[in-house]
Amino acid sequence: MPAAFPARRLAREDLHGLVVRWAGAREVVAPVREGNEVHWRPVTDAAQVDWDYASTMLPPSKVLYKPLVDVARFTRAGDAVATGAVEPDARPSLLLAVHPCDLHGILVLDRTVKGRRFVDPSYAAWRAQTLIVGLNCRHVGELCFCASFGTGPFYSRWMDQGPSDGCDLLLTELEGDCLVEVMSRPGEELLAGTRMTEASETDYAERDRLEESARSRFKKKLEIGGLPELLLRNLEHPVWERVGEGRCLSCTNCTMVCPTCYCYDLQDRSSLDLRETVRARRWDSCQDRNFAAVHFGNFRATRKARLRQFVCHKLSYWVGQHGCFGCVGCGRCIRLCPTGIDLAEIAGEIRRTEKAEDLKGKAEG
Amino acid sequence: MTPSPLLPLDAEVLRVSEESSDTRTLVLRLRDSSARMDARPGQFNMVGLPGIGEAPITFSAIGGDGEFAHTIRGVGSVTRALIGVAPGGTVQVRGPYGSSWPEEELAGRDVVAVAGGNGIIPLRPLLQKMVADRRPDGSRLLVLYGGREPGQLLFRRDLDAWASAPGVEVRLTVDEVPDGWKWDGPRGVVTGLLDHPSAGHPAELALVCGPELMMRFAVRELLLRGMRPADVFVSLERRMKCGIGHCGHCQLGPNYVCADGPVFRYPQVKPYPDAML
Repeated sequence: MPAAFPARRLAREDLHGLVVRWAGAREVVAPVREGNEVHWRPVTDAAQVDWDYASTMLPPSKVLYKPLVDVARFTRAGDAVATGAVEPDARPSLLLAVHPCDLHGILVLDRTVKGRRFVDPSYAAWRAQTLIVGLNCRHVGELCFCASFGTGPFYSRWMDQGPSDGCDLLLTELEGDCLVEVMSRPGEELLAGTRMTEASETDYAERDRLEESARSRFKKKLEIGGLPELLLRNLEHPVWERVGEGRCLSCTNCTMVCPTCYCYDLQDRSSLDLRETVRARRWDSCQDRNFAAVHFGNFRATRKARLRQFVCHKLSYWVGQHGCFGCVGCGRCIRLCPTGIDLAEIAGEIRRTEKAEDLKGKAEG
Repeated sequence: MTPSPLLPLDAEVLRVSEESSDTRTLVLRLRDSSARMDARPGQFNMVGLPGIGEAPITFSAIGGDGEFAHTIRGVGSVTRALIGVAPGGTVQVRGPYGSSWPEEELAGRDVVAVAGGNGIIPLRPLLQKMVADRRPDGSRLLVLYGGREPGQLLFRRDLDAWASAPGVEVRLTVDEVPDGWKWDGPRGVVTGLLDHPSAGHPAELALVCGPELMMRFAVRELLLRGMRPADVFVSLERRMKCGIGHCGHCQLGPNYVCADGPVFRYPQVKPYPDAML
C-alpha cells in the first residue's frame, strides 16, 4: 500500500544533522534513557536520543499538559485585591520521535481540554507552539496493545481526523535510511534544504513489511467491539471488588502516566505576608480518596469505586463524552502499577464471564 | 491569546441576610458595570475568595437589574469564609455555568417541585418566576419541601407568598421539632407529602433537588405514581474545581455535572454508578 502522503528517503546522518538544526531554532524534546527509564528531555544532538525506546515513563502529551500551571494572580493592597491573568509560558518546541500511540494520546487530550466550549490556555499555547515528529513503532512491548485500538504501531488516519492533526513529520526507520512522510506545511519547512530522494515503491513495500512484522508481535490484545456497553452492563462484576479492594493502593500512578488523563485540582498558594496569591491548576487523580468527596460524604469512598471509575471512564464513558476511547493502548498504567493492575485484563475477564454465561444460557435454554 | 476561563470577576456584596443558623444569602453585583451575569435558574457560579478557593454555588435569585444572589451554607473552609463577608466587601465569581431547569417545557403543565434541605435554593429563582408568570394558564404548581427541623427551612416568607398565589400549593414537612419550636404541619420525609390527601392531580413534570438519597426516594415515588422518567429533572451536587468541564472531579458516567448538569433529566444520570440515584 503506498503511503497516503508524499514521502522521501532520508539518510540517517542527514536526519542527525536536522536534529541539530532544529535544536538551534526551538527546544527539541526527545526520549532520553536515564537508568532503566526513558524520559522526555531537551536534546541538542541526535546521539542523545534513544531511537530504540519502547515506551517512556510519562507520555509526551504531558510535556504539553504541564503538571502545575498558574492560572491567576491576586495582589492585595489594603482592602483591594487586583486579579491578574497569567500568560502561558509556551515557547517554540519540537517533540521528536513520538510513537503513534502517544500521537493519539495527544489527539485524545486535544478533545478534552482544547476541543470543547472552554479551552485550557496553557495546553492550547504549548500545542500551538510545538511541532511534532512522529516515529512509527517497531518495539512492541509485552504490555502494548495499541493495535487493538488502531492507534499503532504505525500511524494512520483515526477517528475522522487526518494524521496531520497528530504530527508534522512521520519517520519510519528502514534499513540504513529513514522514510519521512510530510504531514503539514510546518513539517515541510522542517526539511527545507535537505538532500532527499523521493520514496520508491520498494521503500513503501519495506515500510508495509515492517508494519506487518510489528503487528504480528503483539501478545496483548483487547477486544473493543461493544466494549463501552459491555462495561456498563457489568458495573457490579466481582472483578471491581476483588481487584480494587484486593490490590489497588490508590497510589494514582495509573492516572499520572496516562497520556489522556486531564483531571486537575485548583490550589491557591499565598506569600507569607498574604500580599500575593497565585491560583494554579495541578494534576489530580480520580484515584485519590477525596477526589469525589463533598461535604456530606464521598461519592467514591472505596477503592473498588475508584478503580471502576478509571477503567470505565477510559473504556466506556469516554466514548459518550468525547467520541473516542480514553485509552490508546500504551500500557503505561499497567507497567507502572505497583501491583500490576491491568485494565485490559479486567475488561477481558468481564467479557469472558459474559461469554461463559451466554454459553451456559444456550446450553440450558 | 484567549483569556483564561478560570479568571474570576469581582462582585460587591450589597446585602447579607441570615437564612438559618449556618446559611446566609449574599446579594451581589459585579463591580465591572460593563459585565453582565445572565444566568438562568438552576445554573451556578464558582464563588470564591483569593487565597481560600472556590466552590460551586447555585443562584438563589437572579434580578433583571444586575443583582444576583447566592444562598450559602457554611460547611467548609470556602463556604464559611464566603458567608463571613460583610456588605461592601468583595467576593469573586465565575459563571454562570451549567444547565438550567427546563423553563421552556413548563408552560401549561402541572408541575411538582420536590425539595429537601438546601435543595430549595436552586429552585427558588424558578419558582419565583413561575408563581409570577404562569399560573394564569390554569396549570398547577405543587411545592413539596422538607427540612430537618423548622429552623432549617429556608425562604419561609417566599413559601408563604407562593402558597397564596392561584394554582400554587405549598406543603412543608420536618423530620423533627426541637423544644421551643411551634410546628403544626406534618412530620417525616418529604416523599410522605406526595401521599397527602389533597395530592389529587398527577404532575406532568417534576423538579427535584435535595440530598441525593432524598432524591432517590423522591424519584422512585414519582415514577411509581406514573410519571415518565424523562419528565423528572434532578439537580445534582458534586465536587467541582473548574466548573467548565475540565478538572474532572464532577464526572458521572459520560456526564460532567458542571457542564452537562447540574440539572439533568433523570434517564441521563440513572445508568451510572457512584450516585445514590
